[in-house]
Amino acid sequence: MSASINKILRTVSQYGLLSLIAIICIFPFWWTLVVAMSTEGNLFEFPPTFWPRGISMDNFIEAFRVIPILAFYKNSLLITLATVLGKLVVCSLAAYPLSRMQFNGSKLIMGVILATMILPSEVNFLVNFITMTKISLVNTYTAVVLPNIVTAVSILLLKQAFDEVPQDLLDAARVDGASEWVIFYRIVLPLITPWLATVGILTAVEAWNEYIWPSIVISKPEDFPLSAGVLYLRGTYGSSTRVIAAGTILTVAPILVAFLFTQRFFMRGMDGAVK
Amino acid sequence: MSKLLNSVSVVVTNKRNLLAYAFLAPALLLLLMFSFWPVLYGSYLSFTDFSLIREVHWVGFANYRALFANDMFLTGLKNSLLFLLVVPFTQLGAISLAVLVNNQLPGIRWFRAAYYVPVVTTVSVVGIMWGFMFHDQGTLNYVLLQLHIIAAPLGWLSDDALALFAVMFVSFWRGLGWYMVMYLAALQSLPAEMQEAAILDGANRWQRFWRITVPMLKPTILVCSIMSVLAALKAYQEVDVLTQGGPMNSTFTALYYAYDQGLKRLKLPRGLAASFVVSLCCMAIAFVCLRWLNPGHRK
Amino acid sequence: MPELRLVLSVLLLSFGLHGNAFAVQKIEFWTMSLKPKFIPYFQELVKNYEAQHPGIKLEWVDFPWDILQLKLITAIAAGTPPALVNLSVPWAEEMARDGLLEPVDTLLAAPGGTNDYTDAALADLRFKGKVYGFPHYSNVNVIAYNRKILAAAGIVQAPRSMDELLTQAVMISLKTGKPGYAPALGKIDGFFMQQGLDLIRDGKAVFNSPAHVMLVKKLAATYKSGGFLKDKLFAEDNFPAVVDAYLGGRLGVMVSAPTAIKRIQTDAPEIYAQTGIFPVPPGPTGINDGGWMFHFAIPKGVKKKDIPEVAAFARYLTSDANQLAFARMAGVMPTTKQALANPYFKKILPNAGASEQALAVAANSMNSARSLYVSGIDDYDELRRFLVKAVEAGVTGRRDIQEALDEAVGIWNRKLQGVKLP
Repeated sequence: MSASINKILRTVSQYGLLSLIAIICIFPFWWTLVVAMSTEGNLFEFPPTFWPRGISMDNFIEAFRVIPILAFYKNSLLITLATVLGKLVVCSLAAYPLSRMQFNGSKLIMGVILATMILPSEVNFLVNFITMTKISLVNTYTAVVLPNIVTAVSILLLKQAFDEVPQDLLDAARVDGASEWVIFYRIVLPLITPWLATVGILTAVEAWNEYIWPSIVISKPEDFPLSAGVLYLRGTYGSSTRVIAAGTILTVAPILVAFLFTQRFFMRGMDGAVK
Repeated sequence: MSKLLNSVSVVVTNKRNLLAYAFLAPALLLLLMFSFWPVLYGSYLSFTDFSLIREVHWVGFANYRALFANDMFLTGLKNSLLFLLVVPFTQLGAISLAVLVNNQLPGIRWFRAAYYVPVVTTVSVVGIMWGFMFHDQGTLNYVLLQLHIIAAPLGWLSDDALALFAVMFVSFWRGLGWYMVMYLAALQSLPAEMQEAAILDGANRWQRFWRITVPMLKPTILVCSIMSVLAALKAYQEVDVLTQGGPMNSTFTALYYAYDQGLKRLKLPRGLAASFVVSLCCMAIAFVCLRWLNPGHRK
Repeated sequence: MPELRLVLSVLLLSFGLHGNAFAVQKIEFWTMSLKPKFIPYFQELVKNYEAQHPGIKLEWVDFPWDILQLKLITAIAAGTPPALVNLSVPWAEEMARDGLLEPVDTLLAAPGGTNDYTDAALADLRFKGKVYGFPHYSNVNVIAYNRKILAAAGIVQAPRSMDELLTQAVMISLKTGKPGYAPALGKIDGFFMQQGLDLIRDGKAVFNSPAHVMLVKKLAATYKSGGFLKDKLFAEDNFPAVVDAYLGGRLGVMVSAPTAIKRIQTDAPEIYAQTGIFPVPPGPTGINDGGWMFHFAIPKGVKKKDIPEVAAFARYLTSDANQLAFARMAGVMPTTKQALANPYFKKILPNAGASEQALAVAANSMNSARSLYVSGIDDYDELRRFLVKAVEAGVTGRRDIQEALDEAVGIWNRKLQGVKLP
């Protein structure tokens, strides 16, 4: 009898602790949502509003009017799609020989790629900006996307994926006289689709969320992606806190929704990274 | 020399090699342009008076001298070191969270997702939301007042004694979920027999945690700690979205200084010098840690 | 063949006739942080101008102020600068010094005419003898005072000098227990300059001179008697605290631009009803405080042949009528004499509220409103921080004023030695 009460207590306290931490993680989002949906009441009073008052979508409509949110969405989508495509193509191409081909210098190349993980990439912004200016790519989305196409982590993850393909398949294909390209494209690549999806999703989130590099490279604020554009709500001449909140919700909602549907990819990606 | 030429020509003429490098070419080209070139060119530029619109002249160590005489940069270095305080908290917190969620309770998936949400949110949004929380009349002050932990609202982002810690807290908040997932993956690959044997021996949860789990997680802990240390030294995005270096320059970090000088004030050589210093520190730490982790054993 | 020649000449002629229609000149102008509030204003302005000038196509781009400089320099470096860019005076001074702006002396007035800008505005933009921009809007401070509090303190007239203002602050504190004045001591550099006290002379910091020390001593005395609002007195931006206090009836006098006065009207009507306006006493230099002018400058790299049209548009942008309209919308002050003389600013009804009075008082002060700033110093923010901390220590009585200022001067001089001044 007491054992089951103990068990119940244990479970309750577990859920309690889990919930407490979850609240700390989620509360800022909730509060922002509450503010975005409220049209009455003083925002910054004690006790603060935990529930929207005067619910309406007015603030959201105003946010659309105040900053070109639709343009920002479009820009973000463009940048994200291009980055994901570029990364999947270039990194899978690079990971394949490292995994399944014997060639001279493979150790060296691996070393080079690992070295980039140690180099602090944040500092590259300055010079990459100068480079883009010199080759006249500044203020193009190409400039935003190019530096993000190759990352060591993606190459390593895809290499692992390729590693798992049974050698016999390749041997059989090679015996049949298939060229390396055909093997790569027709046989191996389709086999690692789940990994491609993982890398693709991780990349998509990173690309959608990046705000500093696009704001450096792109000249006109209207061409910014959403993550950079939303910051300018704050500095805008007389934007109310509610509208800022609404804009913030509009920025973060798509990613959250996408995340909820694709969680397992993140967890799996982390799995791979840990190994 | 001829041996080198020989090997290069072997490499080049071998069809297999050519093919492999053909596959690797786009990636290598991009890495060269955007990961290696910046390091080389940036280091060179930090010894000049480069500006987008004027001629370039070599100035030797002038930028570095100005850097180390500059109060804001020194504050930045100090703050970047202070930022390291975040590491133990984040790691401990993440391990604990991982242990907490490493079970099959119904709905645990949702809790894990909830803890990961701060990681997938763009930094700019995080900055805006925590700006609300840290407001003088914001929720954080309210909660603390209600719990009688403080007597009057604190200016988390406006008081120069507090602001850095507020920024560090946000960094911690974002890091928890990320490392939690890594530790979770590690935990799930641990063999269960040792835990079971310990339970049979009568060890309680606490003992099991410290005596068995943690030691077995050691490799993961080391890797995560190094990553965390490097991330703390390179912290600057949270500063940009929360305080832009204020109040009174108290939240400058070394890399934020580089970003501010280089891109907001267009003093590119100064920014490059600052980022070079940070890079050196990071690489030094990375080397030391790697050596310590794998003495004589190459990955 | 004659027919061919005829066809060819007709073709050539028609190209010639339509030549101007093909040669549309595009003028791109940049503003700073004016979207979205002024979208209708600028769209209207652009539409009108294009209708009147068929050969011109205007493009309006607005930037948040913190990235404007970066984008501008990038554009100049890439050879595609905008035709006009909205700048603040310190930035213009820096860029003019670097040779990045075109002088516009000859372009300020339409050919054959005279320009109507105030002398102060032009003086602000005169660097090394040449004017580098078309003045747009500015601002100037006025004193908003709480009639009840001042009456209780027995004050009946406007202060004629900073000393008198400080004395009044002390009186208010003694008679009513409330602080009288809340100067922005976080901007002590502007404060000194307005009182005619230089910060730097001949490349050396001189703010530990007897005159400076005397001023800080007066500030310390006022502080001691409670004349100052203590909240955020030395913060970089004490304005929110000041407004809060004034709106709550806890402060005798608030020095700010007329826009802020309007806010009192909406946020605290009872205080508004008892608010009166005084002009800010000009310092011994005769300069009025709060002037922070924005203007339009022509960057280097704009093609010479385009400049006449660009200047024509700039004159239109900053014309009396357009400046007046903008000033009314934004609650700022125009920089042309005619706009300032407009009844909107000058005609005050007998029972006008404080904000109308503020406009009139401000309009009067505009001709002596100058932007006060220190130019040509690297890392100026950092230096200023030392100065503010020294003044804070002195005013709050934590340290001897002379000592604190001496120390700050030492720090400044050490840094200044490495810097070239113009």
